[in-house]
Amino acid sequence: MQLFKKNIWFFMILPGVLFLVVFMLIPLCSLLLTTVFPDQGDFSMSAYATVLQSTYFQQVFLRSLKLSILSTILCALLGYPAAYYIAKFAKNKGMLMAFAVFPMFTSPVIRSFSWMVILGKKGIVNKFLVAIGLFAKPQSLLYNEFSITIGFIQLFLPLMILSLIGVIESIPEDLTLAAESLGSTKLGSFLRVTLPLSVSGLVTGSVLVFTGCITAYTTPQLLGGTDTRVLSTMIYQYAMSLGDWVNASVVAVVMIVVTMIVSTIVNGVSRKVNPLA
Amino acid sequence: MSLLELRNITAGYGKNIILKDLNLNVEKGELVSLLGSSGCGKTTTLRLIGGFSEPMQGDLLFDGKDYTHVPLHKRNFGFVFQSYALFPHMNIFENVAFGLRRRNLPEAEIQERVMKMLHTVDLDGFEKRLPKEMSGGQRQRVALARAMVIEPDLMLFDEPLSNLDAKLRVQMRVEIRKLQQELGFTAIYVTHDQEECFAISDKVAIMNHGVIEQLDRPEEIYTHPKTEFIAHFVGFENFIDLKHSEGTRWTAADGSVLEIAHPEDGRDTTRACIRPDDILVAAAGEDVANAVAGKVGVRTYLGKRMQYNVETALGELVVNTSNDRLFDVGENITLSLDAHKIVMV
Repeated sequence: MQLFKKNIWFFMILPGVLFLVVFMLIPLCSLLLTTVFPDQGDFSMSAYATVLQSTYFQQVFLRSLKLSILSTILCALLGYPAAYYIAKFAKNKGMLMAFAVFPMFTSPVIRSFSWMVILGKKGIVNKFLVAIGLFAKPQSLLYNEFSITIGFIQLFLPLMILSLIGVIESIPEDLTLAAESLGSTKLGSFLRVTLPLSVSGLVTGSVLVFTGCITAYTTPQLLGGTDTRVLSTMIYQYAMSLGDWVNASVVAVVMIVVTMIVSTIVNGVSRKVNPLA
Repeated sequence: MSLLELRNITAGYGKNIILKDLNLNVEKGELVSLLGSSGCGKTTTLRLIGGFSEPMQGDLLFDGKDYTHVPLHKRNFGFVFQSYALFPHMNIFENVAFGLRRRNLPEAEIQERVMKMLHTVDLDGFEKRLPKEMSGGQRQRVALARAMVIEPDLMLFDEPLSNLDAKLRVQMRVEIRKLQQELGFTAIYVTHDQEECFAISDKVAIMNHGVIEQLDRPEEIYTHPKTEFIAHFVGFENFIDLKHSEGTRWTAADGSVLEIAHPEDGRDTTRACIRPDDILVAAAGEDVANAVAGKVGVRTYLGKRMQYNVETALGELVVNTSNDRLFDVGENITLSLDAHKIVMV
């Protein structure tokens, strides 16, 4: 009885664990098994060999990686100043944070359609570019890596901003004042104190944005079209259009591995830069 | 010429005025404390001197030069924060070296000066530690070392000891005073702790509602407060309005006569004050100097002494006296006010 009382709190995690086991761990294992036992046969890595060696896969893989990394970097560059302003100077912090999160209230489908309208041949961007005489006729801004990146940034910038605000807010003002009183310029104290201390926010934000980008489906599907496939749309293509579940599973496994490797690297780097993280 | 001069400083945020027409002179080598309750403007004054903010009006002169608009990082003032404000991502060596690195000194010199300073504050061997691995007292010593190693022209302390426990506080204030006398730096020290302030300072500036009410040596403030606020602050509890009669004799509203041994010249009326410890209690009708008749209202046991709240014709007087002879509540007694200890404010 005593033992039971002590451990009763342990049972509180049981429902959550059960849910994850049934709906995530088991499907994940079956996915993995599919890839190493193709066609109910013996153990074989042949499915991996085929997929990894195809130039089409390599092209899509590199594009996925490139777009996700690029979007993460751009989100960090765009998000940091915004988060810094909101955390340090904003008087109406609540409203600005609501604005930052606002895009997340709309479904990615609607947002992607909006970009199709904006970036299309007859969209306002093209009209503007032609009007100021930069181009003679409308450019194709859709269905390429550019439009996917734009979509990604809009989709995931809020995550970066939110991750950064909390961390920047928690840096005491006394620290930057101390740096300045010791002879640092404002820029110097930012670079030597504020920035290193906000690394943990950048890491959290980057992992969220990167995993979001690499797993996003709707945005690259609608804004990338059939010529600009990424890993997630490739899975759909294999599974739904071609009915090739083995290859789809292989790509899925690759995606999981990439996400895990990248988060580990980013975490490792941040720990080196900031011993507090 | 004073090393630091604040001239007619007015400061605040928007319509909220915190300092009004403040003047302060600090001489080279002095440790001057700003003492006052929270909200009196002492921290605002210190931050203004440090360059964290600029005054709305008035000038700040340092060594004869106008420093009012000199930016923080060019002042060469050492600042010690209440929160220590150590850089959590740097080890102790790098924390202390921070100011020296900004001055682009050669590595060998930085190494030497940091190690020497760490030795001065008794932290040899702690160079590789992170701030979070140290105790409050050790962190405060690092903060001290970090500010002093740049050889600042002025040291500013913002309630540096208020996050430490009582015993450590006493120990640290002695250390700060010792360092200040050894290294001979000029310092301004903000605190709300009267004992700490009197113990450490050459001069004390008592602040109230954004104004310095008195700037004097601690013993002068303790024995001769200039205003009623300061008298209250340093423990005078009995205040009596008096009119000059003749010589050293003064008359109260009820006609009773008191003698003041050291009156200020040229005043006809005064508010006199005296500490509870400087009044003696005697039995009713006893012939004592400066006698005032009264009746015991409240008796409070203070341990070493007994406190009486005595109802007299001059109003209620608070008296602390020895336990040798006890008086009961309601008993008629005679008080003797020490003529040498009555101070005019």
